[in-house]
Amino acid sequence: MMGPGLSYEDTPPFSAPVRFFLTAPLFGIAAGLTLVFGGEILVSRWTPGALAIAHLFAAGFMLQVMLGALLQVMPVVAGASMPAPLLIAGVTHVAMTLGTAGLAFGLGTGTPGVLLAGAASLVGGLAFFLSAAALGLRRGSKTGSNTRTPRDLRMAFAGLVVTAAFGLALALVLGSGVALPVPLPTAVNLHAGWGWMGWAAVLLAATSWVVVPMFQITAAYPQRFTLLWAPAVTGTLVLWTIAEFFALDGARIAAIIALGLLGAGYAAITLYLQAHSRRSKPDTPFLAFRQAMYAALAGVLVLVISLWSDADYWPILAGVLILHGGFGGTITAMLYKILPFLAWLHLTQAGLKAPNMKKLLPDTPIRRQLHVRTASLASLCVAVFVPMLAPLAGLVLAVEFGWLFANLLRVVRARRDAARSAGPRPGSHASA
Amino acid sequence: MSARTVDARGLEPPEPFERAMEGLMSMTRGEEMLLILDRMPHPLLRILDRDGYRHAEAYRDDGAVEIRITHS
Repeated sequence: MMGPGLSYEDTPPFSAPVRFFLTAPLFGIAAGLTLVFGGEILVSRWTPGALAIAHLFAAGFMLQVMLGALLQVMPVVAGASMPAPLLIAGVTHVAMTLGTAGLAFGLGTGTPGVLLAGAASLVGGLAFFLSAAALGLRRGSKTGSNTRTPRDLRMAFAGLVVTAAFGLALALVLGSGVALPVPLPTAVNLHAGWGWMGWAAVLLAATSWVVVPMFQITAAYPQRFTLLWAPAVTGTLVLWTIAEFFALDGARIAAIIALGLLGAGYAAITLYLQAHSRRSKPDTPFLAFRQAMYAALAGVLVLVISLWSDADYWPILAGVLILHGGFGGTITAMLYKILPFLAWLHLTQAGLKAPNMKKLLPDTPIRRQLHVRTASLASLCVAVFVPMLAPLAGLVLAVEFGWLFANLLRVVRARRDAARSAGPRPGSHASA
Repeated sequence: MSARTVDARGLEPPEPFERAMEGLMSMTRGEEMLLILDRMPHPLLRILDRDGYRHAEAYRDDGAVEIRITHS
């Protein structure tokens, strides 16, 4: 009897997402080293070093992983495959890597030419990726979905377009003196707000609707919540942007608080679902995801405090808690699930008997890296109040991401070794 | 003829996929299988289409997905 084969043309090659996953931690290391050698750069969010670190982390680490994951996740959760995934991955990856490095260098050293070239390369890479993603979603599966994920992915892409537009405008201001209709700090806040909430949080939520119940064995998110959450975030961002452009101070503060509450609502519901998981014993990525939710809640609280305080450290602390603690934590936890799963999937598709996912990446190295991650978050929080400790926090940050890189590389090697030694899977006639 | 049922809800990936594939590989011509999952398995549907299985999907009231597969 001939059984069903496991190869299908729509799955991107393993190397397409993996190049993003392996590059991302290198930007985390670069952020750590910037902190080590940059001195007391956490004294204000406006220091060149702080701006460089924010972009090394947000565009270098977060965005790389997110785009790499989308290449693989879109066919699975939305039935939407991008055309020519290797070409898209290759062009986007090179443009984004060079662009982010140039942008961070330009911001950190005050070199307008490099900053502009970096921003142009980054935005060009994103435009290329988003065009392919839009095409993929348009010709996506007609079988439908029992989640809001495909719709919310579209909203996240719209948020990324707005973020990139503000970012490019800011690069033009800093690089060639172009004037903006709003003050520079307002444009920076809008760029960061759309990036955090319109892009990253909506994408995280869109992915969570599927990935949290799938990997953490929880109940589904409440339907009404998933129906309303992303449109509420995007709608509030639009209102906030209008309030900023017309200097409506009350509306501006109300919109920021509403965004904070929406972010906190997502974190709280995720924590509730996790607390009622059907898992008998939570694994380490599960615990990391939970820690990230607590960090995000703390970050929202600090962000609200920063609205009424002129102290420089509140916005920095909010940034650390939300970017490193919240987004960094969830992304790390998801990477530890997604990459071994992809390695297993691609081995299986190749007609090979894949080892158990726990053999591809055991729990012990994950747990050790996540201990360093916790120490990294704690030391960054302390360094916000004791700036002379910033180099030490930077060192721990570099170790955290170095260890993450080593763990991810371990999966890639385990897949390669398994491909060399594994026998054919019974019943398979796949050829991919 | 009553369909064989494979209930792969509440399992962590890749177990639902493996259960589904094991079920498919043990099907005989003309046999029907009812697969119950937590979500729509887009990759599996492409495999079914490519390998000539007939299938029909429906969402249940509890959000689960039922896929009725026939080995043609």
